[in-house]
Amino acid sequence: MATADPELREEEQTPAEEEDTGAQIAPIVRLEEVAVTTGEEDEDALLDLKSKLYRFDKDGNQWKERGSGTVKFLKHKVSGKVRLVMRQSKTLKICANHLIIAGMTVQEHAGNEKSCVWHASDYADGELKEEMFCIRFASIENCKSFMEMFQEVAESQKQLDDNEDASETAEALEKLSVGEEKNKDKASEEKAAPVKEAASTETKEAAAPAEANKIAASTEAKEAVPKQDDVEKKGEDSTA
Amino acid sequence: MALPNQQTVDYPSFKLVLVGDGGTVYAVDLCGYDLRKTTFVKRHLSGEFEKKYEPTIGVEVHPLDFFTNCGKIRFYCWDTAGQEKFGGLRDGYYIHGQCAIIMFDVTARLTYKNVPTWHRDLCRVCENIPIVLCGNKVDVKNRQVKAKQVTFHRKKNLQYYEISAKSNYNFEKPFLYLARKLAGDPNLHFVESPALLPPEVQIDLAEQQRHEQELAVAAAQPLPDDDDDAFE
Repeated sequence: MATADPELREEEQTPAEEEDTGAQIAPIVRLEEVAVTTGEEDEDALLDLKSKLYRFDKDGNQWKERGSGTVKFLKHKVSGKVRLVMRQSKTLKICANHLIIAGMTVQEHAGNEKSCVWHASDYADGELKEEMFCIRFASIENCKSFMEMFQEVAESQKQLDDNEDASETAEALEKLSVGEEKNKDKASEEKAAPVKEAASTETKEAAAPAEANKIAASTEAKEAVPKQDDVEKKGEDSTA
Repeated sequence: MALPNQQTVDYPSFKLVLVGDGGTVYAVDLCGYDLRKTTFVKRHLSGEFEKKYEPTIGVEVHPLDFFTNCGKIRFYCWDTAGQEKFGGLRDGYYIHGQCAIIMFDVTARLTYKNVPTWHRDLCRVCENIPIVLCGNKVDVKNRQVKAKQVTFHRKKNLQYYEISAKSNYNFEKPFLYLARKLAGDPNLHFVESPALLPPEVQIDLAEQQRHEQELAVAAAQPLPDDDDDAFE
């Protein structure tokens, strides 16, 4: 766009920079190309916006810039879980990385319609840290979209959790009944119930996580086999 | 090269020597923010832009990791933390330096005038290492050193970048240039670092209430740069 206009181009570039002065320096390491993994391969982006992120410094009682770049909501293809990931532009380092879970809320930032605030257990550094974030967008519309998506995701996660609890119980029941032929019919009945409920009462969006959840639940069930004690207990609880 | 008590890593790491005129700190307060070398490094560390300058004596070494298409690399950034004000740096600061950044402040002419001295001191100990000259604070309107007036790098075959630690302008360029030279690979570039899946967390009601109270306090505070609408 700008490159089409020579005058604009001249303004954009500062004359002294970008030119390689051609310093002849012998390299001191030899690096081989490696495969790049973003860690986001199994997720779909629900939203993708340019923004500036701040974290709250409690000691100084002030917001401090964390970085500017692209913020995304990423939904896992299998589990249906959604996380917020923000990367710094240019260096592509991670500024924020945390799950959006049921009960989380995003709030308006006093005095600014382009920014909003929330609390999260953030994993940007590879360890969980309690943080308060403020994010600022270039427009009020973008901020609105972000807040709506945030709220929507938090609510859908609540349904996901509920479904998961129900399916887990059902799965546990089924496991229990493997050895007891008598209970088998009853167990499968119970298993079908929660899924049906979700599908009939919820919108399309809610139905999708329920589907994904089924897959997740069955994988979890496989892993849960050694925990026979747990399974029995859950079975007792729900039959009681 | 790390300090003796600093952890070493199993991927390539380089000692980066940061030099430049600490005198900028005095000019800095006029603008209400500090754009010293330390700020530049901290910016890369946490993304935070430090408004306050804390004079410390001695050397600070900040490990700075970058992800490239050739794997992870680390710069151990040696910062003088202001000790140059007390009469130059000892050779120990420069020794085994593998690359360097010389900073000056485009809003303070004297800091540019001192660049040759920093360069001489550096090259006395570190022979033939890649060096970047950085003119900082280019976001400030009334610059004293214009881009055209910066010529020192041409004589000495240094790379020059105009940067702004405040607006992030070109902030990755010095590190990218040094990495490319150290690896002898002009196509080396930064790539996404892997975003690991965060572990599951549970929030109980009491905790959530506490968070909400804290958040109300935080939400009342303005952002440090509310006026600035520039986005990269």
